[in-house]
Amino acid sequence: MLNLADVPRGCKAKVITVSAPGMWGTRLLQMGITPGAEIEVIENSSRGPILIKARGSLISIGRGIARRIVVELINH
Amino acid sequence: MKEITVALAGQPNVGKTALFNLIVGQSIEVANWPGVTVEKREGFREYKGYRIRFVDLPGTYGLTATSIDQVIARNFIISGEADVTLVLVDSTIPERTMYLLLEVLELTSKVVVVFTKSDMTHSAGIHINYDLLEKKISAPIVPISIKSPDSIRSLLDKIIEVHEREPYRQLIKIDYGELEPFIRSVEEIVRESSLAKDFPTRWLAVKLLEGDRDLESRLLKRGEIEVLEKARSIRREAEEILKLTMPEAVAMKRFNKVIEVLQGALVIKGMPTKGRGERLIALLYKPRIGPLISMLLVLALFTVVFTINTGFPLNMAFESIGLRGLASFIEDHSLSHVVGRCFDYLSKLISSSISNSVLRSLIVDGIINGIGTVMTFLPLIATISIVLAVLEDSGLLPVIAASVHPFLRKIGFSGHMVFPITISFGCNVPGVIAARASPNFDERVRAWLTMAFIPCQARLIVVLAFATALRSLNGLMLMASAYAAALLVFIAVNKSLVIMYKRKKLYEEPELLLEIPPIHAPILRVIWWIAWNQIKHFLFKAATIIFLASLASWIMLHYTPSLTYTGDYSLSIGMSIASVISPLLTPFGFNESLAKSIGFALIIGFFAKEAVLSSIAIITAEEVPAKALNILGVNDAQLVFLTIFTMLYVPCIATLATIYNESKSLKIALSSIVLMMVIAYAISMLAYAIASIHS
Repeated sequence: MLNLADVPRGCKAKVITVSAPGMWGTRLLQMGITPGAEIEVIENSSRGPILIKARGSLISIGRGIARRIVVELINH
Repeated sequence: MKEITVALAGQPNVGKTALFNLIVGQSIEVANWPGVTVEKREGFREYKGYRIRFVDLPGTYGLTATSIDQVIARNFIISGEADVTLVLVDSTIPERTMYLLLEVLELTSKVVVVFTKSDMTHSAGIHINYDLLEKKISAPIVPISIKSPDSIRSLLDKIIEVHEREPYRQLIKIDYGELEPFIRSVEEIVRESSLAKDFPTRWLAVKLLEGDRDLESRLLKRGEIEVLEKARSIRREAEEILKLTMPEAVAMKRFNKVIEVLQGALVIKGMPTKGRGERLIALLYKPRIGPLISMLLVLALFTVVFTINTGFPLNMAFESIGLRGLASFIEDHSLSHVVGRCFDYLSKLISSSISNSVLRSLIVDGIINGIGTVMTFLPLIATISIVLAVLEDSGLLPVIAASVHPFLRKIGFSGHMVFPITISFGCNVPGVIAARASPNFDERVRAWLTMAFIPCQARLIVVLAFATALRSLNGLMLMASAYAAALLVFIAVNKSLVIMYKRKKLYEEPELLLEIPPIHAPILRVIWWIAWNQIKHFLFKAATIIFLASLASWIMLHYTPSLTYTGDYSLSIGMSIASVISPLLTPFGFNESLAKSIGFALIIGFFAKEAVLSSIAIITAEEVPAKALNILGVNDAQLVFLTIFTMLYVPCIATLATIYNESKSLKIALSSIVLMMVIAYAISMLAYAIASIHS
């Protein structure tokens, strides 16, 4: 199973589940990172937070939270 | 006149502050929401025979609250206190920002929708058919741009129209697909509940299925445990069958509805080209160079702010390369010096016109001095507020927070804390308040406990004076070591707290989740609104505390323990406390009377750090601090001790009051004092020992 933290820069992925604990999970869902949502990874260096684009807006996600988002890659 | 209450709801960054100010202009009233320190902003506007009251709610992504601010927004929206709810949608990212709108439309039909930033859609290649969209959501839509405020009138018309029409209208219907049978079962149960009197049953059913904490606790409070248990068991059943958690499933369906509503009404033509803003975001996000640029940017901004206010550090830099004249010119024309001189002049003017000595002392040393202290802080607070407003409005703030996140993580903070820490170099009070930026409670507790270790401007002034009084040791070296000591202590204490939390298995890795709005040139009007809001807050809240503290320190200086007025400081309350603590100062080679004087200055310094200098001035009757310290006979090693100790020893009373206000915990406020006292004593003793060898 692939999580968001492992998706390289420039790739697109589709969210399968979001299991971040407590308020983080709620906020992710409200920000549009729901199952079925398409996400584009804009930046993903090995240390800092990941920069993604989801439903038209840029969102910065800490790696700990990103690891709790299960995704599958979208092939073009 | 009939009154209409309008709630202003919107997600963060959709342009709510701008719209609120545009509608109500100068009539803003700021108060606190009951029981919390979150600001409640209200404004009024008279229109067509109505007095319309606008309540600006904290930004929230949806109706399930994830922070104190959002609890307030949610509770106000669902309370029904508002006659009309204004929901803001960002025209440039309608898909994401319409989520809150749909949640509100599930609850009430008394809604007017505002599409903000409507002037920016074309450059983003977005075309919206508002008429079609209005029909699909059956709520009026008003597109508005801050650059063309004429549409405010049509917004007010729509508000009145929605207010006057018949109370009940069909609510929006979201097709929850495979969730529908479960929603219907919860609806059956909830119909029997007393909550059904206050809210639409379908809305209740969906929210309970989502596991809404607030509604669950309302059921518990009303003793309707059976309803709660049944709803929960339906939720578990649904989750088992659908293999998805209910919050995920519900949010997904709502977003599907957003897409359905936007179908045909929203056209995105071509890919928007990458603007300068996006390139800047990409640059700040680069692994090593990004954080470096971010930190340099913040450092540069605050160097400018500090220089304007006190002359430091530019004056020091010029002095060290031999440009004495330029250095003192900068210092003399800094805002705090100018304000200081004005108040000196004022006190001289007044003291010559009052003959009664007690009254003169009260007015000049107590009241004017107190107002003067507030006023010397004011330019600093104002400039910092403006800089922060620029960073906030331009959209730079979240990018910077994200780029320094990996560094702050090492001492247990998330990127959210970058600004609280930076502001604290100016003044700890707004720094402690800004710690709210972190959604993690433990992280906020550590910030409250340790933020006062960050050396503020007041301490800078004191330390500068000590440095200039040195005889053989290098002043600049002392300054640099004092700042280094304070920062190292801040880092070390936080690191230890992290280790402590980890041992107790209570540690939660600091995490970051931030929207990165597009970077754009800041709008002057918006900056002024944001900054003015901060400045007013300072004038009314912090200034009262600082003023009262100045009065208290005047009493400690001018009254004896038996509460009679005295012109002789050696008989004062402050001095008698000083004689109790003076033994603590004897290890630093102070004789008994000197230990008492220094102890006295340090006690008064608790009220405001810069008062350390003014009390030394009172004791020696010498205004110039360096001369005063020489009169007292303080040697270099003792100056080193005093510098380090003043840097670390205690949060000033205004900071302490703020820590208590934010944490609502006496334990945390008192712990911060004890923590600082113990560490200050230990470190300054070490510094004294080292300095004694070298001097």
